[in-house]
Amino acid sequence: MTGRTLILGLGNELLADDAVGVLVVRQLSNDLADRADIDVVGTPEHGLALLDLLIGYDEVVLVDAIVSGAHEPGEVFEIDPTELRPTPNPSPHYAGVPELLALGERLGLAMPRGVRIVAVEAGDLLTLGGPMTVGVRRALPELRRRVLDAVGVHAWS
Amino acid sequence: MGRHVVVDPITRLEGHGKIDIILNDEGGVDRAYFQVPELRGFEKFLVGRPIEDAPQITSRICGVCPMAHHMAAAKAADDVFGVECAPTGRLIREWCYNAFTFEDHALHFYFLGGPDFVVGPDASKAERNIVGVIGKVGVEVGKRVIAMRREVREMVTTIAGKIIHPVFGLPGGVARRVSAEERARCVEISEKAVEFALFTLGVFRDVVLKNEEYVGWILSEGYTHKTHYMGLVDSDGKVNFYDGLLRVVGPDGGRESEFPVREYTDYIDEHVEPWSYVKFPYLKKIGWKGFAEGAESGVYAVAPLARLNAADGMPTPKAQEAYEEYFETLGGKPVHHTLATHWARLVELLGAAELMLEIARDPRLIDEHIRNIPTRTPTEGFGVVEAPRGTLIHHYATDENGLITMANLIVATQNNAARIAMSVDRAARTLIDRGKVDDTILNKIEMAFRAYDPCHGCATHALPGHTPLWVRVYDAGHELVQEVRRDRA
Repeated sequence: MTGRTLILGLGNELLADDAVGVLVVRQLSNDLADRADIDVVGTPEHGLALLDLLIGYDEVVLVDAIVSGAHEPGEVFEIDPTELRPTPNPSPHYAGVPELLALGERLGLAMPRGVRIVAVEAGDLLTLGGPMTVGVRRALPELRRRVLDAVGVHAWS
Repeated sequence: MGRHVVVDPITRLEGHGKIDIILNDEGGVDRAYFQVPELRGFEKFLVGRPIEDAPQITSRICGVCPMAHHMAAAKAADDVFGVECAPTGRLIREWCYNAFTFEDHALHFYFLGGPDFVVGPDASKAERNIVGVIGKVGVEVGKRVIAMRREVREMVTTIAGKIIHPVFGLPGGVARRVSAEERARCVEISEKAVEFALFTLGVFRDVVLKNEEYVGWILSEGYTHKTHYMGLVDSDGKVNFYDGLLRVVGPDGGRESEFPVREYTDYIDEHVEPWSYVKFPYLKKIGWKGFAEGAESGVYAVAPLARLNAADGMPTPKAQEAYEEYFETLGGKPVHHTLATHWARLVELLGAAELMLEIARDPRLIDEHIRNIPTRTPTEGFGVVEAPRGTLIHHYATDENGLITMANLIVATQNNAARIAMSVDRAARTLIDRGKVDDTILNKIEMAFRAYDPCHGCATHALPGHTPLWVRVYDAGHELVQEVRRDRA
């Protein structure tokens, strides 16, 4: 473990707007190349597998495309993870962040103290091999800026 | 009947699993439908791409069982080039594949079946989750599960490149050798895995088998279907996850057919229903006779329950003992009780661990020759594996340059789709009276499909932690009367 902060982009590059989390961390890897205290990781994994990735960090910023229904596609917004209450899941494959944090704490694992979720409202998460929708593509710079803000870095470009 | 179903666009917040329940005039259940949203177009997306890319592309179908798709596609790529996988390449593939099966099965028992059996079907909503399971089995067991998974995943990552989206399978073998140090580590991890599996079977005996109520649920009619079963068997007729012949047994346990995957279209056909995205595979020689049980119906099942029913036994000694105990306790072969799948899965957990150890101890694992280089012109190829959730078939045709011209994938959950639909319908009919669906009833209906561990083939992460289940109850006039959205708990 090299850094105390983790930026974790979630998404599947083959699924239209779902690619955005992985694409933005690619840009952020360049932006933060000289920051030894910040790790930048992209993954298509979900559920319990994410637990392994979160262990050992002080702060985590998650980046993902989400359909909330409350925003216009392409709109960038932040979700407070404490507002996402743990719910009973029929499958651990889909275990959400609140469950993972609760589980990690229950097991006494080194879970992050702070978790922020920067999300972009998706237009299409299901077209296989599909391009990102225009709104989400245009949101990339804003998404990148918001994530950099979240880790206290000022974006110059 | 059932033609009212609205096919909603699927979003990250809703639509993993939908159950539509149609009531009759008396408020009983006329028919219940379990909908699995399916990502369309994967087969089309593959056309025009090099066959060598299929293992990488198809492993992205879903974030749950990438290794199964990677392996089925790698085996199909061997076949497309008419090249035999190098023996050491095969050992490396098989170690990773058994390790993946081990990890997936362990995850299912502790965290998915857990809420049903460890916490209990009647427990409150707030307890029926991962944290509730840990509360019941103890923090130390929870730590052990997480640590075991982590060790296995780290080793697979070393050998396969990445745990999610492995990159090691190439036509004729694998991309990377295993070093002597890595082999020593594989032995160490595999020994721990065997101990872990034995311990887990002990947990199952203590928590489930010693509880009469749970055993009653397992044996109850509401969770029983007498269908055909299919699974891969090795040359000794034993369960094999990586390779073998596909064997079908009837509801009486008698062998009906055994065939190489190359002939799958002679044995399996697909039925289409207007209310579902999923095509329902059935046994072609018997034909589609509706969602029916018995020897006269072409409905079959796959996955742990089916594999144990189809095979003559387990290939390793400790798993064989567990296999015998399983059938003796449940009244002999075949076992038709859907909820027994949880136990069958643990018999396989032990089998996978023992095979990991057997392979890790094989000195050939570190041989230099890991790949036979393909020399023939590519044509058509078939690959089959037993994914944790059941038989997975990949079938490709290519042009002379190895570019894919046709792809057909039959995934595990699809093979099980008809029996899952029957199970949900049966559970709903048994449990719902006068149109009332409460949380306990809903959970017991969910148990009917959760035993199959259906994988919905989506790459969604459910970041907000919402539950992917949506139940809609319609009256006899097909008017929506009740809606239970488990994603808004």
